[in-house]
Amino acid sequence: MKKVIVLILLAVVAYYLVDVFSQIKFGENRFQGENVRDFYLDKSKNDLHVSNSVTSIVVNFRGFDTLGEVTVLFLAATALGSVLYRRKAHGEAVLFNASTIVRSGAHLLFAPILLLGAYVFIHGHLSPGGGFQGGTIIATGFLLMLLAYHDYKVSHGVLTWVESLAGLTFASLGLTGLILGKTFLENFLPIGTINDLFSGGIIPIIYIAVGFKVGAELTGVLYTMLNEKEYKKS
Amino acid sequence: MVGSPVQLIAIPLFAAFLIPLLGKAWKELVRITPGVVILYLLYLSVDLLNYTIEHGRVVEVIAGWTPPWGIDLVFSPFSGFLATLMLFMGLLVWIYSYRYQTFEDYDDYEPTLKYYLLLMMMITASVGVVLTGDIFNLFVFIEILGITAYGLTAYYRHRDGAEASFKYLFIGSLSSTFLLLAIMIIYSQLGTLNMADIAVKAHELKPVYKITALVLFLVAFGIEAEMFPLNGWAPDAYSQAPAPVGAAFAGIVVKAGLYTVIRLIYTLFEVGGTYEYLIVMGLITMFFAEFAAFSQTKLKRMLAYSSIGQMGLVLVAFGIGKEEGVYAALFLMFNHAIIKSLLFMSGSYLVYKSKNKYISELNGVGKMMPVTSFLFALGAFAIVGFPPFAGFWSKLAVLTAAADSGMLLIIALILSISLIEVIYYLRVVNRIYFVKRDTDLGITKPTPQAMFSMLVLGAIILIVGFYPDVITGVLHKASATLLDKGSYINDVLSLSQTIN
Amino acid sequence: MSLGSNLDLLTVTFYGTAIALILIGLYAALVKRSLIKILIGLSIVDSGINLLLVSIGYLKGGTAPIFSPAVIDKNPAMVDPVPQALVLTAIVIGFAVTAVALALVIRLYRHHKTVNIDEIKNLKW
Repeated sequence: MKKVIVLILLAVVAYYLVDVFSQIKFGENRFQGENVRDFYLDKSKNDLHVSNSVTSIVVNFRGFDTLGEVTVLFLAATALGSVLYRRKAHGEAVLFNASTIVRSGAHLLFAPILLLGAYVFIHGHLSPGGGFQGGTIIATGFLLMLLAYHDYKVSHGVLTWVESLAGLTFASLGLTGLILGKTFLENFLPIGTINDLFSGGIIPIIYIAVGFKVGAELTGVLYTMLNEKEYKKS
Repeated sequence: MVGSPVQLIAIPLFAAFLIPLLGKAWKELVRITPGVVILYLLYLSVDLLNYTIEHGRVVEVIAGWTPPWGIDLVFSPFSGFLATLMLFMGLLVWIYSYRYQTFEDYDDYEPTLKYYLLLMMMITASVGVVLTGDIFNLFVFIEILGITAYGLTAYYRHRDGAEASFKYLFIGSLSSTFLLLAIMIIYSQLGTLNMADIAVKAHELKPVYKITALVLFLVAFGIEAEMFPLNGWAPDAYSQAPAPVGAAFAGIVVKAGLYTVIRLIYTLFEVGGTYEYLIVMGLITMFFAEFAAFSQTKLKRMLAYSSIGQMGLVLVAFGIGKEEGVYAALFLMFNHAIIKSLLFMSGSYLVYKSKNKYISELNGVGKMMPVTSFLFALGAFAIVGFPPFAGFWSKLAVLTAAADSGMLLIIALILSISLIEVIYYLRVVNRIYFVKRDTDLGITKPTPQAMFSMLVLGAIILIVGFYPDVITGVLHKASATLLDKGSYINDVLSLSQTIN
Repeated sequence: MSLGSNLDLLTVTFYGTAIALILIGLYAALVKRSLIKILIGLSIVDSGINLLLVSIGYLKGGTAPIFSPAVIDKNPAMVDPVPQALVLTAIVIGFAVTAVALALVIRLYRHHKTVNIDEIKNLKW
């Protein structure tokens, strides 16, 4: 019975979605005259000297969203810790080390993965990628190690420091613009030449901070969840 | 003017990243810092509000890109009033929470840190929802609000918080899905995300897009504003969350939800019939919520349902429209924030030791906890609208507004539904004072700081009750601002022309 | 409905897949009884929405919105970067919500030793 109701509901939703989106032509240039897309593309190239315009939108034009986004991640990690907090676990953890092959492989791959992550977020303003993507790659490196060794420890203190300092960097760069008499998050550094590593003013700095923050936060989330081990009553 | 609106968001964010480090130096800082931050923001906000009442809106541009290109924050008498109210309630909730938990392991460093971080960010996100002038930014703030609310609902591990929180999260996710779909439709057609710009261009939308987007927005925001039938999460969340958080939900979070509905209908779209829709939905919400409240056996669930009912009344008042309607709605929102928070704060001390929080466990508690009981009774009388308490004036304003518009049926309906409210609140007060105590539950004295917050709220109820003029000036100004859509658009978009 | 008049293969593929994902996800979220499956449903809805959002920004013949040295002087048509930036935000938020939800599921499992919502009924569902 419930399934039937749900299916009828979904049929209605489907009808309207198809109706609306069949009228939005795929791949068509819908905007004429002044519009946000052309404005962003133009300013990204000429005013900010950032070659990846997605990065300039994420970090500058809509940088306030990104600050909120970073906060969402931070708060998700906080809420996760609060929900799963317990003073001590009862019983004995049931855990195994992975096989030698996996462990050696993980060791071998760990450093290159971190390096790749760093590369991705350092070049976020030049090529596809950026802080979120790079941070995620770094977290996968730690995930690999956590899966290979059951007793792999990530220091909570270090994570907290990295997380907080990166977040503070982002917020203070924003506030610096305000203090210098500009607006919040406005660029105040020289913008360099487009397609140089040192270009785009504060944009790459913010994205690197985001990379560190995301890496630390995702690692923290994974670590908290993996520490929720299955316990055998002893 | 001491500061700009963006500080209301940026400073707490900065503090949120700083608090884990401060906690390493001295653990007590984790508790103190959020309060200091909120106190400063309140000062800033009051100052800005005074400025805007005299000089008109402050529109703050972010990252140097003027609207419609960049994100903007709009601090008007309307949004500023709500932001100030939220920060004030936030401060009282913080004072009330200070050293609230005194059992199990909730005084450990980690849970304490997380509680205060989430509480501070919940208040910040609500302020952000109210101030932002960009529709996608609104989505981001709603999500921050959601995450903090889920975390705080599930804070107590010895209650069914996780279940309530999961329910809330499930409905919240659906809400954000609808919101994103609506934003997508708007962007694909108008190529803009700025609210003022959307309001200007809305008439270019083909009816099919306009209606679809409006329905999606209404569903998404209706969930946040506890509109019927999407409010199933609310009673569970209110009753399972820690008491200060319940007060914050009633005083702060639901106000942010209502604001989104109002902004949508009053500024973004002009579609015929939305005002009538608000009235009908408001009445239905009221009707179901008050009957549900009437049949509750648990105190906090009763208060939660009553809260939903009040939100229904606010929607009706907004639906009446015009200056009087909006004025009445804002007055109701103010009163509801003050009174319902007082009821949550005092009520949870009255049943502090009880596991199930049954209303019957209130029997005869009036003799054991005279001050707290008195404050609860004061709140109960105020919320049902007995003169000379604060609630009376707002209910009167709603009825006058309805009478001015000739909506006599609505007056009759509001009065008859309010009768239910009177009955169940008086039933509780009767139990507190006139029924002999039949349980052997002990009592817990409120901490001095909790008592302070409750007394402040009680004092406000009395002051506004006897001298409503202290608040009506701001309310009139705020309601005039909300209705003046043209000047909103003009104030926001005129910035763009001066620079380009 | 104006179906058929302007539907080409790409439209059907992208919008169709995205809408299908949304519907499948909603079905799973509303019908399934296991908390984990409900969460998987919500994630599928998220993916569908993100795909839809990116599809809206596509421009026929457009390149990636990156002014790399190879294309900077040619001034090619570029796809709309705004939906891509919005999707980035939406993905991160989706991740955050999923993480919190999983934590709640872990705690519910710890408490009730089951993830079936029929057996977790302290509050009315």
